[in-house]
Parts: sequence; structure tokens; C-alpha cells
Amino acid sequence: MVSKLSQLQTELLAALLESGLSKEALIQALGEPGPYLLAGDGPPDKGESCGGGGRGELAELPNGLGETRGSEDETDDEGEDFTPPILRELENLSPEEAAHQKAVVETLLQEDPWRVAKMVKSYLQQHNIPQREVVDTTGLNQSHLSQHLNKGTPMKTQKRAALYTWYVRKQREVAQQFTHAGQGGLIEEPTGDELPTKKGRRNRFKWGPASQQILFQAYERQKNPSKEEREALVEECNRAECIQRGVSPSQAQGLGSNLVTEVRVYNWFANRRKEEAFRHKLAMDTYSGPPPGPGPGPALPAHGSPGLPPPALSPGKVRGVRYGQPATSEGAEVPSSSGGPLVTVSAPLHQVSPTGLEPSHSLLSTEAKLVSATGGPLPPVSTLTALHSLEQTSPGLNQQPQNLIMASLPGVMAIGPGEPASLGPTFTNTGASTLVIALYSHKPEVAQYTHTGLLPQTMLITDTTNLSALASLTPTKQVFTSDAEASGESGLHTPASQAATIHIPSQDPAGIQHLQPTHRLSASPTVSSSSLVLYQSSDSTNGHGHLLPSNHSVIETFISTQMASSSQ
Amino acid sequence: MAGKAHRLSAEERDQLLPNLRAVGWNELEGRDAIFKQFHFKDFNRAFGFMTRVALQAEKLDHHPEWFNVYNKVHITLSTHECAGLSERDINLASFIEGKSLPWKERPTSLPRRGT
Repeated sequence: MVSKLSQLQTELLAALLESGLSKEALIQALGEPGPYLLAGDGPPDKGESCGGGGRGELAELPNGLGETRGSEDETDDEGEDFTPPILRELENLSPEEAAHQKAVVETLLQEDPWRVAKMVKSYLQQHNIPQREVVDTTGLNQSHLSQHLNKGTPMKTQKRAALYTWYVRKQREVAQQFTHAGQGGLIEEPTGDELPTKKGRRNRFKWGPASQQILFQAYERQKNPSKEEREALVEECNRAECIQRGVSPSQAQGLGSNLVTEVRVYNWFANRRKEEAFRHKLAMDTYSGPPPGPGPGPALPAHGSPGLPPPALSPGKVRGVRYGQPATSEGAEVPSSSGGPLVTVSAPLHQVSPTGLEPSHSLLSTEAKLVSATGGPLPPVSTLTALHSLEQTSPGLNQQPQNLIMASLPGVMAIGPGEPASLGPTFTNTGASTLVIALYSHKPEVAQYTHTGLLPQTMLITDTTNLSALASLTPTKQVFTSDAEASGESGLHTPASQAATIHIPSQDPAGIQHLQPTHRLSASPTVSSSSLVLYQSSDSTNGHGHLLPSNHSVIETFISTQMASSSQ
Repeated sequence: MAGKAHRLSAEERDQLLPNLRAVGWNELEGRDAIFKQFHFKDFNRAFGFMTRVALQAEKLDHHPEWFNVYNKVHITLSTHECAGLSERDINLASFIEGKSLPWKERPTSLPRRGT
């Protein structure tokens, strides 16, 4: 098909197409003499064949597209729709890209599934992509997918192929989305929705960890920011989110459905204020509540009955239950004799995974068992204040220990005591706070113990020391854990929390760059040793089946495949 | 792209440069600029990459200083107006990183036609 074009010509043509040149414009330009054409350069027959070949190629492109679509439609049992690629294929010279992508998928399939799963998962976290989107386009079962990504539950090859295909395509979609963001508007919106007409639904906005950090810090300073301040926060958050994805902040439009807007910032602050008010109220109730038994009744049934709680509660409660930490049911199995609140709760939070959905009752059953395990009186206030001094997330609620507990929960929710490898932290504040709320609302009779029950979770905070760092480090956790087993755990804790920079690789450049050369050289001896890492990876991917040495792949995907450490 | 040509402050550098450093951009000594060397499989890929970067540079109205020999491309980014690094450099660097992705280049395993 491209037989008449030299390799360089193909390259340049592709470059032109990628730069936004439309087919029609190119054909027109080819038809006109003058500045566009190198008339007279080179032998006439070559020039003609170039032009003819060019046009021929362009004319063939639709066929190519059709072929591609046809062949890919067969593999489309995954449910991906292919109409968007029509436009993108102009830029991709699709048949080759399709082959390339398939090759990459094949290579991924040969790789260790757990390693690839970690890669995919970290990519999802980095770009805040909801699992639902993956499920919708691949046809995989959401629970199965979640288990595969988070716990390594085995997945059959064909299904993994669907997943990896989605992953490969998504990466290119996002890359294009970001580059087109700077070119004025999006041709499609591949990240947020496949096709507005097809699903009529954009992905739900989700706060990223970087943004949340910024917001919490701002919340500390002032709980009620003005419009100007909110706008400033919008800029800051979008910038941080871009940085997390390894993209220039000016390409913020590429964030798609996760773009931070002023309204969202406004809502975030409003929700935090309501949360705080509610926690304050709960705290008041707990402290002033009578001793166990019928005592908590008067206070808590107010929470128990659906209509009564503050407005932020009920929707929040529902949300929290949905988005709450799903795996706490596993914690229910934790033997209650294991030495106290710390240990009993450590397991449930340990098992947390980011985007799973669990019915509320699992949370509650956990809490019930936890509570029965602890079974002690309210801890002295001094304990709570001690926690306060250790707590580092400081989401800005310093008034009361109860507030502290709940305040620390958002940051803590997904963090277990020093088990980074298996953690999938969520950054859903609603989840955290509403978990608390759920406790109160559904189990009034153990009210006085829920307070204790909260503590274990806060105690965990102290165990995990550098909360905010961990929260912000989550994406990188994936990097380091699979990266070098040695640096896996320590890499988590060493980098101190830093403003908005999630790209922790920068903290450990020595580690990364040391690893790379050795891997690179061993992976693809035929390629020059100083080639780009990513380029290497693709070569090794396609040619050698050596395939994404762990640090490459992880870094590759984490840094949104656009920036990978490369040592020259 | 007026308005983005102010020299980056220290905080901005702390925020933006680590990402670039992580992928191989280094700050030059004696000059407020960032630099990176790219190697490609062959000249065609190198020049295809340069073409993409060039088209984007024109769009951004911000051009790199670069050197090319066969399959190597050395790129230095700096802003003339502020005699140092500005956001334009960061933007272009990010774009360059994106354009050096494997599937923007032609991986060797793909069947080469017409070569």
C-alpha cells in the first residue's frame, strides 16, 4: 500500500497528518503547484510517483481504514467502538499502528500477568480512570477485573488480551488527547466518553490525590474561599494533575472528565464544611452521650433514621458505602483476639482496594466484629490528642480529637500499616468520611464502641507516619514495588511529601537510572545502548519478547508513557 | 504565545523540572536551559521526529536549538526573551517527550514497505 513512498516520505507524511493536517487540505496542496510542492526536485518520475503515490496512498487510506475497522471489528467483541479511530487513523496511518498495537498486546500477554496488572492498575490510578470505563469497553466482569488488578486473581488469556488491548489503545488516546488539547479543542473525547452519542455518559469526575492535597492545604488556610481563590485553586489543581500524568500544565484540557473546574472546587469546599459540621456534631453527641446501653439511643437513632441526618450525610452515606473500602469484609475474619484495636483494624484497611464496590453491610459487619473485639471503654482524650500530634495529613480540622479522627480518615482510608505492595489507596474523601458515618448510622447500639472503632483506624495513621506522602506516593508505589524489590518498600517511605509532585522517580533518580542501563543492554543488545528507554521497550517488545523489563514498563506506564527515564 | 515567556521561579522549577529530569532532561551549566539527547533507530525516524517537533514548534512559536547527525538529535530548550527557562520550554519539552513515544516512531518490527 505504501509501496511508492520511501520510508522517510512515510515518516514525513505521518508527521504532517499528525500535526493536524486534514486529508482534504493535503490533497489540495498536492494538486496546486507552487510553494507546497517541491516541483522539479528529484527526477520527474519520482515526483509523479510521489504525488501519485501520495494520492494513491491517501485514496487507499479509507480502504485501509475500512480494512482495519473490519478486522478490528471482529476483535471488537470487547465492545470497543471504532468510529472514533476514523479520525485518528488519519494521523496514525492506521494499519501499521493496528499491527503495532496488536504486537504490543501479544507481548504483554507473554509477560507475567501480575506485573502487567500492576502496570495497568497504576495507569488507571495515575489518570484517574474509573474501572467502569474499562468494563464498558472490554466487556469484562467488573469484579473479576478488580480482583485481577488488585489481587492478581487469574484471568484467562483472551480476557487479558481484551484488557491489554484497551490499555494500549487508551494510552494512545490519552496521549493524543493531551497533544490535541493544546491545539484547540478535542476532535473526539476519547478519554471521557467513547462517543457522546453512543453512551451519552461522561466519566464521573474524580479528585486526584495531588489535587486533594492542594485542596486540603487550602482548606486549612481558609474554609471558605472566594471565587478568585477558587479559580486559583483550579489552576493549581489542574497543573498538579497534569504533572502527575507527566504532561505539560498547558495541556490541562487533556484531563477530560477529570478536569478540575471552579464549580467542583466550590462543591469540594462545601462538602468539607458540611463534613466537618457533621463530625463536630457526632463528636458532641459521643462525648456528651450517656454510658453504654440505652444511652446512645437518643443521640444515634437520629443518625439511624434515614431522613434525619444532615443533608450531606445521606447522599454521602450512600456514596460512601458505595465507594467505601470494599475489602473490609476480609477484615471481618480477623480474629478478635489479636491484641487490640490496632491489630484488628489493620487487616481490613490493609486489604483496601481503590475502586471496588461493596455493599454497606460488609463494612458494618466488619465494624461489628471489630467492636466486639475491642470491647473497651472510650479511650482517654489524651490518646486522641496524642494521635493528633502525630497525624501529618492535617486536613485542617484541629479542633477536636474526633474531628481529627475523621479528618485523618480521608487520607488514611486506604493505607494499611506498612504493606504498600498490596495497597490500593483510594483518594475518596467521601468514602472515608462516610465510612464513619455508616458506622454510626447503622449500628447505633454499639455507638460508644464505634468511637473506639474509629481509633484503630487512626492508630493506623501513626503507624504509617507519613500519610500525605503515602497518599501522594500511591501511584509511584506501583513503580517502585515492581521496580526493584529492594527499593520497593523503602521507596515508599523515603521520599518526603512534596508539593504537587507525584513523580517520585525524581526522588530516586539514581535508582532508576542505575537499573535502566543494565536492563536495557540486556534486553536489546542490537539496539544502541543509549536509545530512548521507551523506544527500546517497544523494540524489545516487538522483536525480542523480552518484553517490558519491569522497571521499564512500570515507569513507562506510570509516567503516562510520555516520559520515561532515559539515561543517555 | 505571549505571556508565558517569563522566567520560571524557583518554586515553579521545583514543581516542573523534576518530571523532566526524570526522563533525561538535564540543566546545562553556565546557561539557563535544558538539554536532552535522543537516539533513534535510523535517520528516517530521527527526522520524522524532528518534523513533528518542528511543526509543533511553529504552532507554539517557540523553537528548539537542535543538532542532528543521522540518528541522533540533541535538543536544547531555552527562552530568548527571558534569557532562561520559561513555561514555553516546559511545554515544548513535554510535547517532545510525547512525540518520542514508540508508536509515534516506526518500531523496527513493523513491516517496512517501500524501503
